[in-house]
Amino acid sequence: MRPAVRQKLKRRFAETLDLPPSVVLDQAVIHIFGDSEVKIVNHKGLVQYSTACVKTRAVQGLIEVGGSELEIAFFSAQEIKIRGRIRQVMLK
Amino acid sequence: MTQLLWLWWQGYLTVRLRGAGIERLLNRASQVGVALFRVERLTSDVVLVRMAARDFRLLRPLLREAVNGPRISVSVLDRHGLPFVLRRFRRRSFLGVGLGLAVLAVFYLANFVWFVQVFGNQALAVEAIKTAVEDAGLRMGIPRSSLDPARIERKLLESLPDLVWVQVKNRGVRVEVHVVERDEAESGEQRAGHIYAKQDGLVTELLVLQGTAQIREGDTVRKDDLLISGMYYDHQGRRQYGAARGIVKARVWYEAVGEASLVRWEPLRTGRRRSRYLLTVGPLTVPIGRSLPRENHLVTSRTWQLYLGTAMAPVSWTRLDYEEVEWETVPVPAAEAEQNAYELAWESLLAQGVDRERVLVEKRAVESLADGNGIRVTVRVEVLEDIGRFSGQ
Repeated sequence: MRPAVRQKLKRRFAETLDLPPSVVLDQAVIHIFGDSEVKIVNHKGLVQYSTACVKTRAVQGLIEVGGSELEIAFFSAQEIKIRGRIRQVMLK
Repeated sequence: MTQLLWLWWQGYLTVRLRGAGIERLLNRASQVGVALFRVERLTSDVVLVRMAARDFRLLRPLLREAVNGPRISVSVLDRHGLPFVLRRFRRRSFLGVGLGLAVLAVFYLANFVWFVQVFGNQALAVEAIKTAVEDAGLRMGIPRSSLDPARIERKLLESLPDLVWVQVKNRGVRVEVHVVERDEAESGEQRAGHIYAKQDGLVTELLVLQGTAQIREGDTVRKDDLLISGMYYDHQGRRQYGAARGIVKARVWYEAVGEASLVRWEPLRTGRRRSRYLLTVGPLTVPIGRSLPRENHLVTSRTWQLYLGTAMAPVSWTRLDYEEVEWETVPVPAAEAEQNAYELAWESLLAQGVDRERVLVEKRAVESLADGNGIRVTVRVEVLEDIGRFSGQ
């Protein structure tokens, strides 16, 4: 079964049973704390890290956190916590 | 915060990663279970990461994996946390033991009272209160557990009647004693007693506010004579005993003597000068040169202090200049000598408590000293003052 079809089926399943899509679809959850911290849970890896931009891979696509003086406060296989002056969070 | 504390407890490293494609290494590290903290990008090819010390060994195989890709060098910049602190202490066991003993000593010594401070006193001297506090059982060095503030407060109020309120506050190794003194008027009203003469005098004015007068205007009284008794009869004719209050003004005499010489010794410089040097290093002073008697030399000194930047070094250099003198006598004019003696006499009067403004009559007697080299001035003053002194029972 093609991945796109599988994703579609999973989404339908989650909607039907009223389950959190992040769990069923393995999607990343993004928490934004003011303009100083972003926490991404269930990411699929770090793509790029600089003090102005942190890009992480996720099932939904690429999550790009832009700002200045960015620092990765915590990094593990499931979670990444970014601190600094957050200006934008984009999903590409 | 908890995570960082846990990390400190386990011990962690600050690791520098240098090279291209560090993100790939970070991803691999996270996949094998290495948690990274405070990842900082310093330059385009340098990243600092913090990781638990025990995870560092997991990083090496990953570097070998990346041999085919871009090369990344790893170096440990610093080690933090409890295991490393302990390891440092293991090497300096005596330092550790000393620190442990110091901590224990601090904890042990914190169980005692080391300072007693008095607040709120005005008329009563701190020493008097501290003595009473010590008598009440609160002294430096007693265990804090034996401190009983209520008992000390009670004893203080008993031993110092001039206090109306006492509070003993335990502030760790310091104990604060807060006091409030009795007002002057309040104490006079509350305590029964008599008014006595504080010195000899001729009573010129008598005003009794409470009590019974024991003298009349025009009487001559001696020191400690009873002036106003605290005994009186109220308007119902009952005998009462309370605080005597009143004003007893009297003419009081004071006498003082001042002497001054009719000659003065003045130094005459002979022109001979000698110098002597002192080198001081810390508590040690090394004299260089001969010492000369001070009886026939005037000495002036000048000191140079060594400074290292802004800090004062404990090294100084002193030059002592000795000027030889011969002492000769110079006659002092009689008027000047008399004035000097008169001022000395007045200094003595002021020390006796005479108020210059209240002097009614002043008499001065001048006489020559037996050897003829001096002058003596006797000053007698008559002052109008309240001679009453209340003495409570």
